[in-house]
Amino acid sequence: MASFIKAHDVSLVFKAKDREPVTALTNFSLDIAQGEFVSIVGPSGCGKSTFLNIVLGLIEPASGVIQLNGTRISGPGQERAMVFQEFGLLPWRSVTANVELGLELKGVPSAKRAARATELINLVGLKGFENHYPHELSGGMKQRVGLARALATEPEVLLMDEPFAALDAQTRDLMQTELLQIWERSKKTVLFVTHSIEEAAYLSDRVIVMTARPGRTKDVIQIDLPRPRDYEMRLTPKFNDIKLRIWEVLREELTSRG
Amino acid sequence: MAAQAFFTEHRRLWLALCSVFFLVASWELVLTYVFPVDPFFFTKPSLIATAFREQLQGSKLWHDLAVSSQAFIWGFAFAVIVGIPVGLVMGWRRRVEYSLDPFLTALYASPLVALAPLFIIVFGVGVLGKAALVFLLAVFPFIFNTFAGVKSTDALLINVIRSFGGNEKDLYLKVILPSTIPYIVAGARLAIGRGLVGIIVGEFYAASEGIGFAISQAGDTYRLPDMFVGIIILSLIAIILTELMRRLELTVAPWRASDEVR
Repeated sequence: MASFIKAHDVSLVFKAKDREPVTALTNFSLDIAQGEFVSIVGPSGCGKSTFLNIVLGLIEPASGVIQLNGTRISGPGQERAMVFQEFGLLPWRSVTANVELGLELKGVPSAKRAARATELINLVGLKGFENHYPHELSGGMKQRVGLARALATEPEVLLMDEPFAALDAQTRDLMQTELLQIWERSKKTVLFVTHSIEEAAYLSDRVIVMTARPGRTKDVIQIDLPRPRDYEMRLTPKFNDIKLRIWEVLREELTSRG
Repeated sequence: MAAQAFFTEHRRLWLALCSVFFLVASWELVLTYVFPVDPFFFTKPSLIATAFREQLQGSKLWHDLAVSSQAFIWGFAFAVIVGIPVGLVMGWRRRVEYSLDPFLTALYASPLVALAPLFIIVFGVGVLGKAALVFLLAVFPFIFNTFAGVKSTDALLINVIRSFGGNEKDLYLKVILPSTIPYIVAGARLAIGRGLVGIIVGEFYAASEGIGFAISQAGDTYRLPDMFVGIIILSLIAIILTELMRRLELTVAPWRASDEVR
C-alpha cells in the first residue's frame, strides 16, 4: 500500500510551566492511503486530537517522521483542511463569508471565491442561508458551514476533530450519512477523530484504536462493510460484530485507567 | 384594561418621566414655598428655564459649544488612533505588554487631571492644551478595553486562521480586531465621560471661552441659572453620545446582543 500520509515513530511531549511534562504521543505510527477514510478512537487525552494537529501542521512533533505524499509536513498547507469540533466559525461573518475564509487567506480573487462558496453552500444543503450569521444557525447547520469552509479550499486531506460531537443524536446520524455521500463523490482522504465507536465503524475503511496516554496504536480494525453504506446497515449483525470488536479493544484501555 | 396594558408596556419610559418630573417639581416647590432662599445663593428650575431660553437665542452659547467641541473631537480622535493599536499590540505581544504595563498601571490608577497644569504650560491655553488633556484622559479606556478584547479572543479562531495558512496580519485583521470591536466600543463609552472631564478641567483651569469656561465664569459671578444651563447641556451631550455608543455596540456585534439575557 502506497502511503499518502505517513507517520513514523511520532512522539510529542507537552511542557507547561510549573507542571509535570505530559507525554502526549510515543512512537505513534500510521500509514494512510490516498482516498482512504480512517478513524481514530481512544480514551480521552490519548493524543488523538494532538495527532490531527500535527498532520494539520499546527504542532511540530518532538521526534519522528510525518509526511504527506512523501514530503515532510512543516506547517499548514493547501492540501489539508480541518473541520473543528466547536465549528470555529467567525461570528461576525455571514455563512458565505465564513465559507470563503480559506479561499480568502489563499488569495483567491473574490469573484471566484463567491462562485465556489455558492457551490459548497448548495452541496452541504444550506441554500437560502447564505446571508445568515452563525448565531442564527443550529449546531448542525454551523457544522455544515464548517464542512463547506474546509471543502472550499479543495484539500486532498480532510481532517475532522470530533466534528459531530457537539450535535444532537439525530442531527449527528444525518450528518454522518451526508458526509459519506460527499466523501464517496470526492474521494478525499479523511482522517477522523471520534469518541463514538458506532460513528467510526459506520464511516471508516479502517479504525485505529489508541492506547491511553501516552498514545500509541493499540490495534487497527479493518471495516470490510460494502459501500455505499446506509443507515440500515447499522442494524445488521455484522455491523454489531465490528462494533463489539472495537469495543473489546478499547475497553482494556478504559478499564486500565480506572 | 387597554390603558393598563399601555402603561405596563411603556412603563420604563413613563416611570422615568414621572421621576424626573417629580424631582424638578419638588425642587421648584420647596424653593418657592418651604425655603424661599435668595436666588443669589441658590436657584430653581423656573429661573434655569428662563436662562436657558435666553442663552439659546444668544450667540455666546453656540460659540462656546463650538470651541469645546473642537478640542474634544481632536483629543478623542487621537485617543482612538493611538489607543486601539497600542491595545492591540499589547494584547497580542507579551513583551510589549510587560514593557508598557508599569506606565499604564500607574497612569490609569492616578487622577490624571492633576497633570492639567503641566499640559496647559506645555501646550498652551488654546485648543491644543485642552485637546491634549482630553487625549490623556480618553486614551486609557481605549488601550485597556482593546487589550482586554484581544486577551479574550477565542483561541480556536486563531487556530482556524492558522490552519488555512493565515499569517500574522490575517490574525489581526480577520480575528483579533473584529472580535475586539465590541470591547473598543464599550471603551469609547467610558472615554466619552473622561474626555468631557478633560475639557471641563482644562477650561476651568485656564481658558477664555468654551462651555467649561462659561460654567466657571457663571459660578464666579453668582449667575447660578446660567451655570446650570452649562451643566445641563453637558449632561445632554454626554447622554446622547453614550446612547449612540450603546446603539453602535448592538450594531457592530449582533451576535453578542443575542446572547444577552434581557
